[in-house]
Amino acid sequence: MAIRNTTRRWGAIAQLLHWLIALFIIAQFTLAWLFADLPAGARKLTLLARHKSIGISILMLACLRLGWRWANPTPTLPDTLKPYERSLARFTHALLYVLLFAVPFTGWTMSSARGFPVSWFGLFTLPDLVPKDKSLYNMLVTTHTVLAWILGGVVTLHLGAALKHHFMLKDDVLRRMLPFVSHKPQGSAR
Amino acid sequence: MRIPVPSLAAFLLVSFPSFSADAPAVPHYALDAAKSTLEFSFTQAGAQNKGKFTHYTVNFDFSPDNLAASRLEVTIDMASLATGDQERDDTLRDADLFAVKKFPQARFSATQIVKSASGYEAVGKLTIRDATREARVPFTFRVASEAGTNAGYMAGKTTLKRLDYGVGQGDWKATDQVGNDVSVSFALRLTAAAH
Repeated sequence: MAIRNTTRRWGAIAQLLHWLIALFIIAQFTLAWLFADLPAGARKLTLLARHKSIGISILMLACLRLGWRWANPTPTLPDTLKPYERSLARFTHALLYVLLFAVPFTGWTMSSARGFPVSWFGLFTLPDLVPKDKSLYNMLVTTHTVLAWILGGVVTLHLGAALKHHFMLKDDVLRRMLPFVSHKPQGSAR
Repeated sequence: MRIPVPSLAAFLLVSFPSFSADAPAVPHYALDAAKSTLEFSFTQAGAQNKGKFTHYTVNFDFSPDNLAASRLEVTIDMASLATGDQERDDTLRDADLFAVKKFPQARFSATQIVKSASGYEAVGKLTIRDATREARVPFTFRVASEAGTNAGYMAGKTTLKRLDYGVGQGDWKATDQVGNDVSVSFALRLTAAAH
């Protein structure tokens, strides 16, 4: 598999970033679900610290990903797509990118507003983005949560679309994001 | 309560054996709480966090010329801790950490003050929760004459291991999220009072 993208297929770096972020998003929802009902305590603190570290990792990976996307060709959408499907796909992907930045960013800001500096796996501490502010913190908790649920919804839509392309439309939209799968020219699976 | 004069005299003689004609008098200093700070800092989830105590008393008998008769006694009202976060403060006051209901006070009692390269060292016993340990607290001290009274400025910093004092039971024994090292720093203004 090529390192760089072609107009037909995602390269190794783009795939790695895509799947790492996917894995991290699953981890984030799992952690959030685990600590949501916990009382304040050591266990909650541990899970929250992981959640923050992984969130910052997603933010860093999202930056790399956007840079790599800009420096590489983007595989083209299948010709079979109708214009509105094309627009919908573009909009969904743009929204995913926005949320990959917005969700971690609101999380980081909310930590700052609470007065808890964010550390990346204990290796370094990130600067506080805003001064301590209780009402801003409360607002950001809601924003972070709502954005996370929107991200969850859009990811589900994204996953559904990928499966539809693979199993119903039988094109290579999913396959070209999968490692270890040989590339078949578009439409040959029909 | 009335104290019989002979026993008071005996008490003074026993308590202050160095109280003789040639030893310089040791001034007594008490805390000027409004102009003093007692802070602690600790790592939480990898980042440095700060807190302070707002209620504590300091009694300091000190003369650089009579260290043998110098003493330091600090009593901290543990419920007065403040880290800037209500939930965290409540957690710190709970049974697994400072357990302030059971152990409302922490105390440092130094009966030995020694000269060090950079100032002095108070050597004594530090009690937090129900654990008492030998502790050496370095400090600097200078006296300034301010509007007719003598003010003493005492400052210093030391690092304690919280688990030495049982601050961290159950899950809090883990040090990966909340570090074992807690640094304590103080900048106190003390006022000289009649002994």
